[in-house]
This record gives sequence, structure tokens and C-alpha cells, in this order.
Amino acid sequence: MTDFDLASLITFIPAILRVTTPILLAALGVLISERAGVLNIGVEGMMLTGAFAGVVVSAATGSASLGFLAALIAGGLLGALLSFAVHVLKSDLILSGIALNMAAAAGTTLLLFMLTGDKGMSGSLSSKVLPHLTVPVIAGIPVLGTLLSGHHILTYAAFLAVPGVGLFLMRTPMGLRLRAVGENPESAAIAGINVRRVQIGALVTSGVFAGAAGAFLSMGYVSWFSQNMSAGRGFIALAAEVMGHGSASGTMFASLLLGLAEAASIALQGAGLPSELMQTVPYLVPVIALVVHARRRQRQLARA
Amino acid sequence: MTDRPLIAFAGISKTYGNGTLALDDVSFAIRPGVIHAVCGENGAGKSTLMKILFGLEQPTSGSILLDGEAVAIPSPRIAAEKGIGMVHQHFSLVPSLSVSENIVLGQEPRRGAFLDRVAARRRVEELSRRYNLAVDPDATVRTLSVAAQQKVEILKALSRDVRVLILDEPTAVLTPPETDELFDRLRDMRAAGLTILFISHKLREVRALASHVTVLRAGKLAGDAPLAAIDDEAIARLVMGQAAGPALKRGGRVSGTPRVVVSGVHLKARDANDRLEGIDLTVHAGEILGVAGVDGSGQRGLVSLLTGRAQPTTGAITYEGKPTAGLGTAALRRLGLAHLPADRFQDGGSKRMTLVENAIAGAHRLAAFSTGPFLKRRAMETRTEEMIVHYKVRCPGPNAPLSALSGGNAQKLIAAREFATEPHFMIADQPTRGIDVAAAAFLHERLAELAAKGGAVLLITADLDELLTLSDRIVILYAGRIVARLENEPGLTPERLGPYMLGLESAA
Repeated sequence: MTDFDLASLITFIPAILRVTTPILLAALGVLISERAGVLNIGVEGMMLTGAFAGVVVSAATGSASLGFLAALIAGGLLGALLSFAVHVLKSDLILSGIALNMAAAAGTTLLLFMLTGDKGMSGSLSSKVLPHLTVPVIAGIPVLGTLLSGHHILTYAAFLAVPGVGLFLMRTPMGLRLRAVGENPESAAIAGINVRRVQIGALVTSGVFAGAAGAFLSMGYVSWFSQNMSAGRGFIALAAEVMGHGSASGTMFASLLLGLAEAASIALQGAGLPSELMQTVPYLVPVIALVVHARRRQRQLARA
Repeated sequence: MTDRPLIAFAGISKTYGNGTLALDDVSFAIRPGVIHAVCGENGAGKSTLMKILFGLEQPTSGSILLDGEAVAIPSPRIAAEKGIGMVHQHFSLVPSLSVSENIVLGQEPRRGAFLDRVAARRRVEELSRRYNLAVDPDATVRTLSVAAQQKVEILKALSRDVRVLILDEPTAVLTPPETDELFDRLRDMRAAGLTILFISHKLREVRALASHVTVLRAGKLAGDAPLAAIDDEAIARLVMGQAAGPALKRGGRVSGTPRVVVSGVHLKARDANDRLEGIDLTVHAGEILGVAGVDGSGQRGLVSLLTGRAQPTTGAITYEGKPTAGLGTAALRRLGLAHLPADRFQDGGSKRMTLVENAIAGAHRLAAFSTGPFLKRRAMETRTEEMIVHYKVRCPGPNAPLSALSGGNAQKLIAAREFATEPHFMIADQPTRGIDVAAAAFLHERLAELAAKGGAVLLITADLDELLTLSDRIVILYAGRIVARLENEPGLTPERLGPYMLGLESAA
């Protein structure tokens, strides 16, 4: 491999991390909900709403932090709404999640139009952007600096959340209860655990993660919201969680694979290949990956 | 004795939302430090009463007195606080968690924000030593045998400083030696001052273990007496509400021509528990061949081969001399096969369909029940009503869903359907598991009757009393092989079968 190739590869890595960030944040949220037995199908809508809330509140207050906080709260509130539908109104989890996604897509468009008179973009709102971080010392080291420094603050947050979520699930009493609730709610109830409370908490937390993913979309590299800007990343996050086999680190690797696909499709669009074809790559890869994953799981079951 | 009762049920009644009266003014007392048995048929209210004591259900009226004081037990957590623990019939364990995680679940030792796994393991080892129940704290529950899982379940109940331990049908899943070991441990616990409530419908076990028995029948208290003051027949009468029929005992019946011959059959299955490694057996016309073995010794594989749901990897099966290779379930049924599956709500019938639909399934294409593409509803209902009367199926009506029936009544309906075809070969797989004594006795009579009329019956059962009552001959499966072939002589006891079932001995 020539120096030129190596250099371009290293500069490609920040691009992968950038597109992986929202997928990973959302997938960790999905992971928490799934382990509690309440798979958050509404993650796409929560992401989109988080993106919208971040733009509107940061434009109104002039504060990126308040905008980010609003995105988290919006995601959490939708998590609570989904939980209300499922736990109080006893509606179906999957259908409620789908309804939430459709309502979020339409609702954000409607509110966007009411606020800006534009159905497509929030260009007229002067919203804020969350910062990038330069890690002192490391930033100066040639290759390491490119790999470890200068990323978006939410990229750091997403990757630091991986061991955080992993330790929470596997090493804390709360995580143990959450896993017990997800696997066998009757046993958990008999052990004196309030199953409903654990599941409500899991859905709200899941929504907060989705809100953070949304904030990255609208406040990470750009300072605007556009109609349906989550563009299916919530569903890709669902795929990442499934491929991750229920573990935080597995979810991270799956997210990185899917992020790589998206980054590659962006890079290849400039390389003379039909861009419409390239745009399908981020969606084709999860389909192929899930097929491979399902086949492998079948073989494992066959061996056992 | 004049001990004050530890627990007293005072006029407990329970009516469910659908109007079913599960318990009707039940009152009795349990003295401290004894093993107290609660007997009764399925649906008699035993489980409901225990669920009320454990806080899983609330009584409609009446109260529970603990140490002479009325207490409310709104949840299992409160029950645990009051020193009441329960070992559930269907274990309450989480399969993917470790033994120690399961035991500390809900009251985890902490170190900072984290679970203190060292302390959790220590707690389990302490309990394990104190109660002489050996478990590996780090093993994943999914990998444990049923008997080991039960130990975990017991330790989990004991981990909460219990004074009263409820065991719901604890021996249903155990082999005779495992049952003996459990009984020894329970006696140790009683000696240590624990009060044990033992739910069972096996009189032999009640007699072996308990000092006092309470019998429930149809939600009412049928009797309550020290075991020293009541004989088995009297208990059986209380349970069944009438004089129990004379015990059937078969064995050594002269059998007719070979009807089903299995020779040199191997089956490679996905699940190792279903594999067969060279099975030879013959079921003759007019006999009941009993198949014993610990659950997962190849019974499921054998049944799927004989019912046409799987084909042998090598070896052959013939049916009245004709090879059955390549024949599916429908073809075998046309040859005279009938099947009472072990899982009556999964394989035996469809829970969401009505009794009529379940009773006619399989016969729905007969001219009696269809005209062209349409079913004759009236004829189907009439036929089902006959079955309901004939088989004494307690149900709201022929158009109720199967799910409205108790396990025993659902099984009777399915049996009615299977016997109606006048089968040449009947596979009865755990025909009476979890169903009440009266329904079980009824099904036993039907099976014996079928054999007497020349039918060949293969009886697969984990209930050794049932096996020894019904079978003419017995084969014992272990790890996919037949390890013993026995004539069912009068002297044959469950204890003699145990070592074969556990693979300790072989006589084949």
C-alpha cells in the first residue's frame, strides 16, 4: 500500500465515525429497550423529533446546549408517550411505534411550516451547532491525531456510551433487573420487580438516546432541519442492534459496519458511479448483513 | 397439639372476572413447623389459594391470618417481607442469567453503583451449604437439568428469610431418586423450623412427607385432617367426591400380532434430546407398551417418527407389515394412527378455535361434516355435544374457545376426537400430565378399553404410577437408546426403574 492510499484511508476514518455517530446513539437506545422486552420501533420518529426540537430551541434561545437538552427531552417524552400507549392504553408495541414514526414525520413537517412558512427546510431559523473537540497533546501527533482528535462532541459521547451502556446492562443491579424483565417478566414480577416501571424507564431512556442522535443530525455538522432528515437511520439502528446480538460492543461494531457503508456511498458518489445507485448502499448493506446474520444464527442453532 | 396456627385462611372466596368461582369460603389452619399437604384435582382451587397466599392474586372475600393477625398480601414482594416463599410449578427463573444472578434478583448486593458479584456468589454458597442443596453459583440456568433448576428455585425462595415455603407440585418433573433427595431436604428444612406447604395430587408422596392434609374439591374445603387419622382411600374419596374406582392394574397381557415394528432406527435431530441411536421395538395389537425415561431421552424423536413428522435417518418402521417410509402424518392417520400429544394446547388443539372446530379437526372433510366446500355447522355441533357429554368435558358450551377450558377438560376433548377414529395404533404422550385424578382415571380407562378391543397403544409417560398401572410391557429410554425391556410384573416398582432412567444401569 502506498503512502497516498494510507493517508486517504486515515482521512476516511473520521468520515466513518461521523456517519456512525447517529446510528450508534440510536442503536444503543434500541438496545436498552430491546433488553427490557419493549423494542423501540419508534426510534426513527424520536430521532426526527429530536432533530427538530434541537433546531427550534437553539434558534429561539441562541444556545446550542439548550437546543441539545430540548432534543433529549423531546426524545424522552416520545419514549414516555410510546410507553403510555403500550402500558396504560394496552396498545400493540410495534403498531404504536410505527404510528409514532408516521406522526413524527408529519408533525415535524407541519410545525416547520407553521414556524417558517417552508415545508422543506428550516433555513430561516438561525440555529446553533454543537462543537467539535480537539484533544490536547494527541491532536499534535500525526496519525493518532487524525484518528482520536477533532471529532464531534457527540461522536465522543456515542463511543463512550458503549462501555457505559454495557456496564449498566451487565454489571449493575438495575441492568440485571432490566434483563430479567426483558427475558421473563413473570419471574421478574415474582422477584418483586416492578416490571412496568422498568419498561417505562427503558423506553424513556431509549428516547433520550434517539433524541441525541437526532440532535447530531441537525446540530452536528449542519445548522438546519429538513423534512424527514433522519432518512431511515432509525431503522438502520434497529438493524444494528439486531446484528449486535444484544450486546453494547456488538451493537457498536454493527453500527461501524453500517456507518462504513454509508461513508463509502458518500465517497463513491463523487467517483463517477451513478449517485442514485450509490445512495442505496447504506440501505442494502443492512439487508445483506441481516441475511448473513440470520443464516449464521441458524447454523449455530443447528450445531447446538 | 395446641400450637397457635402460623397461617389461617378465614372464609377465603375468589370469583374471577368471568364469573368462575375458584374458591368458595375456604377456612383451615396451618401449624408452625410442619409439612402440610394440600390435595385436590386440577381446578379444585389449590393453586389459586397458594397464589393468594403469595400475593399473586387477591381474594374476593375472606382474610389470611398470619400469627393470628389479619394481613393483606398485595404482591409477592410483601409476601416475601412476611416470610412467605414459593417454589413455582413452572419455575420462575430467567434462563440466560447465572444461578447467583437469579437468586439475588430483586435484592441485589451492591458495591457502589455496581452489582457485588462476589457477595452474591458468597450468599448463594452460604445458602447452598446451609440447606445442603448443591448448585454451581456461576452456571447459566439454561444449561442446568430440571432437578438442578428446581434446587435453584428453592434456594431463591429460601434466600429471603422465609418461615413458610410453598411448593407447587414439586415432584412432577423429578425422577424417583431426585424425588427422594428433595424429600430429604424438605425434612431437613422442617427440622430447622420451616413450615412447608406441599401441593400435590400424589397420595403416596403426601403420605411419605406430610403430617397433615387439607383437601379441596371444586373450590370448597372437602376435608382437613392429620394424616395419622385418615387412610388413603378416605383421602381419595375426598379428592374425587365419590368412591374411587377399583385400581386398574394390567401387566403381562397376552398380546396379538405385531402392529408397529421399529427396527434399527437412528434419528439425527437438531436437538440432542431428540436423537435416537438404534431403536428396536414392537407394539402388538391389544397391548399397551409403556415408554419410560427422563424427559429428553429421545421420546420426542420417537413420537415424531411414529407420527410421520420426521423420517428416520437409518432404519425402518413398518405398520401392519407395510413400510411407512415417506408417509406423512395424514397418510399414517388414514392407516389408523391416533395421537394424544404431550402439549395439548400447542399440538393437540388450537386454543383460539372453538371446541367444535377442535373436535372436528381432521374429520372435517368427511361427508358427515361437509357439503362441497362448506362445513355443516349443525352436524359438527351435534357431534361435539355428544363428545362433551360422553367424555364429561366441563365447558361453557361447544362454541367456547378451547382456551376457556382447564388442561384436563381440554385433554378430554382432544381424547374424544382421537378415540372417535377407532384407531389401530394410539400414541398417548404424557396423556394425563397436570390433569386431575378423575380425568386421568377416565383417560386410563379409555386407553385400557382400546387395548382390550385390540388396539395397539404406545404410552409415553413421566408418571411412573401411570406407567406401572397401564403398561403390559415397559421399555426405558436413555440418551436415545433402549436401556431396559421389562415385563410389567406385579413386583415392579418405580424404584427399580430409577437407575435405568438415569443411565446407571442397562439391561438391554
